[in-house]
Amino acid sequence: MKPELENTPPIKEKKTFIEGFKYKWSNDPLFSILIALIIMVILQTLTLGFDYNSVGEWFQSWTSNWINILRNNAGVGIVALGMTFVIMTGGIDLAVGSTLVITGAFAMYLMDTGSAGILGAIGISGVPAIILTIILVIGLGYLLGALIGVTITKGNVPPFIVTLGAMMIFRSVTQHFAQGYNTSVPMEFLQISSFKIGNLMIMPIFYWAVIAAILYYVSKRTTFGRQIIAVGSNERAAKLSGINVNKVKLRVYALMGLLVSIAAIIQVSRIGSMDFSNAGRGMEMDAIAAAVVGGTNMLGGRGFILGTVYGMLIIAVMNNLLNLFGVPPYLREAFKGIIVIVAVLLQRKEKSV
Amino acid sequence: MKIEMENIRKSFGSNDVIKDVSFSIQGGEICALLGENGAGKSTLMNILGGVHQMDSGAILVDGKKVSFEIPAQSLEAGIAFIHQELNLINDLPIYENMFLGREIKTKRGSLDLKQMHDKTADMFERMNVDLDPGKMVRDLDSSYKQIVEICRAMMTNASIIIMDEPTTSLTDSEIKRVFKMMETMKEHNVGIIFISHKLNEVMQICNRYLVLRDGNLAAEGNVSEVTTKDLASYMVGYDVRTESLRREREVEEEIGEEVLRVEGLTDQKNFRDINFSIKMGEIVGVTGLLGDGRSELFQAIFGAEKLPSGKIYLNGTEVKIKSTYQALKEGIAYLPRNRKENGIIKDMNIIENASIVTWPMFSKRGVINTDKHWQKFEEQRGSLRLKMGVLTDSITSLSGGNQQKVVLAKWLASNPKILILDNPTQGVDVGAKEDIYDIILKLAEENIAIIVLSSEAQEIIRVCDRALVMYHGVIQGEVQDKMMNEHSIMSLATGGELDLERSGQPL
Repeated sequence: MKPELENTPPIKEKKTFIEGFKYKWSNDPLFSILIALIIMVILQTLTLGFDYNSVGEWFQSWTSNWINILRNNAGVGIVALGMTFVIMTGGIDLAVGSTLVITGAFAMYLMDTGSAGILGAIGISGVPAIILTIILVIGLGYLLGALIGVTITKGNVPPFIVTLGAMMIFRSVTQHFAQGYNTSVPMEFLQISSFKIGNLMIMPIFYWAVIAAILYYVSKRTTFGRQIIAVGSNERAAKLSGINVNKVKLRVYALMGLLVSIAAIIQVSRIGSMDFSNAGRGMEMDAIAAAVVGGTNMLGGRGFILGTVYGMLIIAVMNNLLNLFGVPPYLREAFKGIIVIVAVLLQRKEKSV
Repeated sequence: MKIEMENIRKSFGSNDVIKDVSFSIQGGEICALLGENGAGKSTLMNILGGVHQMDSGAILVDGKKVSFEIPAQSLEAGIAFIHQELNLINDLPIYENMFLGREIKTKRGSLDLKQMHDKTADMFERMNVDLDPGKMVRDLDSSYKQIVEICRAMMTNASIIIMDEPTTSLTDSEIKRVFKMMETMKEHNVGIIFISHKLNEVMQICNRYLVLRDGNLAAEGNVSEVTTKDLASYMVGYDVRTESLRREREVEEEIGEEVLRVEGLTDQKNFRDINFSIKMGEIVGVTGLLGDGRSELFQAIFGAEKLPSGKIYLNGTEVKIKSTYQALKEGIAYLPRNRKENGIIKDMNIIENASIVTWPMFSKRGVINTDKHWQKFEEQRGSLRLKMGVLTDSITSLSGGNQQKVVLAKWLASNPKILILDNPTQGVDVGAKEDIYDIILKLAEENIAIIVLSSEAQEIIRVCDRALVMYHGVIQGEVQDKMMNEHSIMSLATGGELDLERSGQPL
């Protein structure tokens, strides 16, 4: 219950639809992003066509197209959520792709059913092995993130430099130690992603949604979430307000590592393997793009978890559209680039008023 | 060259800063521009320098009407403005700084370093400056930086130079050097407008004076005809409230126990060997001129800087405060100077800015207790006399004074035992200033120990029980009761000793 306020806002006079739209367009940053997303979805629906025998058939086709889109982007989507927090503190994490590979490799070596399996060697197998793997992999992701965070805060090195270095180190180390081995993941592990609910493979989407919901709550209602904004908006003022700036930053990078390791588990359990030289390449850029399209300010202080979800969907739907239109693969990146720049241009326009 | 400003008016919003001011200056004279903080000196000079636009009035150069819409036009007309913060690039040598923005280039388009170097050397020779043009600006002391700025102004063929408090951060010998430079410029028929608070310097170097008070021209004339006492009374006016707001203490025991004691605090760079203590319910002022190190000292005590050597005692037990969070838990609050850089967080709304300090205290398992913050803020709102719209409005929608009150509110919510206020009335209008004084006095009655850092002697005299005066990182002296007056404070702040004979009577 909120206490009564002396100056409660005057009851909004009835606005026409157009006026209300204009007001929201220029005052609610998420509104314009949502409109953009809706337009994309309408376009996509039109492009898919209505050339079906029945509504049911059309709906089935439309849904399966959507499930594909969402499932394919769940991993990056989760990483983009963490990236939003990182950027909100005024930082950046270029190492997410490499963290994905190193945690993914760790997962595969832990539960390999062949000779390389670490857990198998000490006699743990089956469901306990899988649970232990999940815990250890997430732990490793958290640790690596924390390591990056410590270097940034205690070492006072710019995030760009630290994560650029980490990006090279993590992948290189993984590739060196993983060469020449073929690991195979136990069937039960694949269930993490492939478990079907009513004939639909939607587990990755489910994870993404749950994590997004948790982080949305964290960003809105918790001390940690609000301190992220304070630190990113005015680090000096935050420090002088008794906020432990270094701790906030450290936790943000650690959380980033944790989220990447979850993405790694999803990817390994979906495909059953991981290509250590290519997996996760460019993932950092996709995550940054989603955050930026979703209204996150690269200078820190402003960002929206919900916006990043929208941003991710906009990029994903556009990829799908380009695919449907038959745009040559090499040109697709160009469209992604255009979307990112246009999205930021639009946001600038609102802010400069 | 002669410059006349006629009937200049300027207001910011409803605040009339300059009300119908006219004056003139010509080459070869040094004219002092005096006035208290907020009298309108900077605004008037910013109009002349093309930084601000006047609302009405005229500027005439050699009898011809001109308009300065941007600083470059003013510079073009031969008026150079040397700001208090020097505009030099530390990582470039002197001669490149001299030509910043107007670099000399060779035919092929690269920088003609040799010519720039030689021209600088010529200028230094003409102005009797003993400096190597190839030296890095980083390696110069403040007086030479000041001199480089002056020479740069001369390089643009400036015939009128505005100097905004050039001597505040200089030592005596450095001041002499700058004054010698000013004499040389006078000989070169350059006019100088010298903004300063130091009346002795004005008597020493200036020919004429102008005194601004509340945006009006209070007095002008020749320096030879007045004394520092006259100038001071012109500046202050006769009706100004200088009496202490502090209630008389009936019994000495009323002052409570010691809350904070500091022994031998030193950080090598900004302050050295600081000793003082403060009791419950006491209001202690700390003042000094630019570069005295008081902000750095109290930020260190607050845990915002590296741990200094020396000892800090809270309620008699020694503490090592390593972070601001720890300081907060120990009951120390610090309201920083420069509200915009250090105080407010512009991406957050009023209530968030007002509750940021207490988020962790009122939260349960990390979840912010919004209701409690709203309640707390509503309790404070009346006593702070806050003028604002809705709690969820942006912090930037408030006026400076109200923003400051919000920043104050965030600390009061934490129930501090020691409250450090660094320049609490900076950029705050008169009404809000009085409100803030009231709040300070009320808090002292609630037995909070209060430390007020301020560069305004008036402010210190009005609200504090006693004051420490700092000079270049050391506590130069302490003043109290009758000794707490502008004269003795200024004398200590400029590195002098307490003049026991004269300081009894107000200046």
